[in-house]
Amino acid sequence: MMRHAADVPAGSGSPSPNGLTSSANAGLSMRGVTAGYYSHDLVLNNVSLIARPGKVTVLLGPNGSGKSTALRVLYGLLRPRSGQILLDGREITTVPPQRRLALGMALLPQGRSVFPELTVQENLEIGGWLLGRDRRRLAAALEAVYARYPLLKEWRQKQAGGLSGGQQRLVEIGRMMVADPRVILIDEPSVGLAPVIVDQVYEEIARLKEEQRTILLVDQNVRAAVALADYVYTLEYGRNNLEGERGAFEDRLEALIKSWLRF
Amino acid sequence: MLTTISLSLLVQALVNGLLLGLVYTLISLGLSLTLGIMGVVNVAHSTLIMLGSYLALELLQRLGLDPIISAVIAVPVFFLIGVLLERLLISHVARASQTTGLLVLFGVLVVIEGAAILRWTTDTQVLSVSYINASLTLAGIAIAVPRLIAAAIALVLVLLLDTFLRSTLYGKAIRAMAQNRDAARISGIDTDRLSLLVFGLATATAGVGGVVLAMIFPFDPQDHYRWLAWAFLVVVIGGLGSIRNTLLAGLLIGLIETVSSVLFPFQYVYFIVYLLLVVTLLVRGQGLAGSQSRAL
Repeated sequence: MMRHAADVPAGSGSPSPNGLTSSANAGLSMRGVTAGYYSHDLVLNNVSLIARPGKVTVLLGPNGSGKSTALRVLYGLLRPRSGQILLDGREITTVPPQRRLALGMALLPQGRSVFPELTVQENLEIGGWLLGRDRRRLAAALEAVYARYPLLKEWRQKQAGGLSGGQQRLVEIGRMMVADPRVILIDEPSVGLAPVIVDQVYEEIARLKEEQRTILLVDQNVRAAVALADYVYTLEYGRNNLEGERGAFEDRLEALIKSWLRF
Repeated sequence: MLTTISLSLLVQALVNGLLLGLVYTLISLGLSLTLGIMGVVNVAHSTLIMLGSYLALELLQRLGLDPIISAVIAVPVFFLIGVLLERLLISHVARASQTTGLLVLFGVLVVIEGAAILRWTTDTQVLSVSYINASLTLAGIAIAVPRLIAAAIALVLVLLLDTFLRSTLYGKAIRAMAQNRDAARISGIDTDRLSLLVFGLATATAGVGGVVLAMIFPFDPQDHYRWLAWAFLVVVIGGLGSIRNTLLAGLLIGLIETVSSVLFPFQYVYFIVYLLLVVTLLVRGQGLAGSQSRAL
């Protein structure tokens, strides 16, 4: 079933009518969030959504609809002008990004975000910053990541900035996984990557899904994203537009994409 | 005959230039760190250097402490001054534009300079230690002992800081923050707290730099602008945040200063050094912003 946002009371705090979870509080949610970089130019206008535990939630929309801003707000990189962010029912709206990892959250940002002049190993060490004072736990966490991504072990002494775009993406994913996050926010995972690499990135996201992690995916690659999705939201002009389970969207993808191209 | 004299003069100039270059590296490091890592143009940097010189003077005159000991004392004292400056002032203006920060720090410069004039007057001072005129002669080259000690202290501090940034997890986090601040925060790094550390370290190098400069040159509360210019020159030539490049640039400036003073009349030295600044800025094309892209 796909519904228009107009059917859902805005900011009602429970935009979760589909029985994917019995508790409206579990997972990561944003309630009635209004945000923007300037007061006269709001990027998000009263947006509500929930990333349900263990599910892949996909946030779609045309360019400039506020998808990436929604992720920034969810991760604390941008403070909303009003509204709340909740993690398992606990309000975390003003928790700064550097404290989110300790809550079990992680963000895979859009574009290149490796530390280019650090080695791959050093990049991973930064990913384990929270374990930093416990050298043994850090070493164990790094070994776990190397076991998960053996290529990273091969590249460990290389400068991250010298790797190809796809290799850097793997370093970014590895760096994020050092902390073994429960809730993962992913922003445009395939932008700027070669098609072969893009497939591998989505395979990795599928693996994260199998591991029952909670995933919120913002993506322009609508087909790939919807294929992984359990639940889909769309934004238009910074407002909630459509939402529903994957099945409701799969038939309508063509029409949806066409309508966005006219923006 | 003339050629052998010139040759030994030249070697003398090279040795002096390297020693001086180490000191120039030390007084420039802080500027490079704050600009490269935090994006703060600390124009008050040279007044902190000047305060370091007066710390050495006070400790010598009141307690008879050798400047070598003052250099050690300067580290925690100036680290604390830097932390306070960052917490009370810089952290509030850092989010505003770079121009705002520049104006605020210019205000700091005026206040420190004014206070120093009130406290110590504008008289020129020297550190009259027992070895002030001592020199070692090695293979026909005379090396002034204070200059040798100053250079040794500078070298130790430069190496310590380089090791800290390269090998410790905190150092790596600082470099990570310089390369991508948002990605560092996402990885759990408290960039505000690290900024305190960076500004503390930068100010500590300025303080020690002031102590060792006072071992070589006379000083007063108003001649620090020369060191500000020198430090900016080293930063522009060496790029930002990289200690090794700063060291190379510092040594280069030291060498150019001493060698050109052998080859040309004294008044040309400044001209040559500033010409170098202009040429570097033209070649880099983007000035300070251009060097920022290669932080650490």
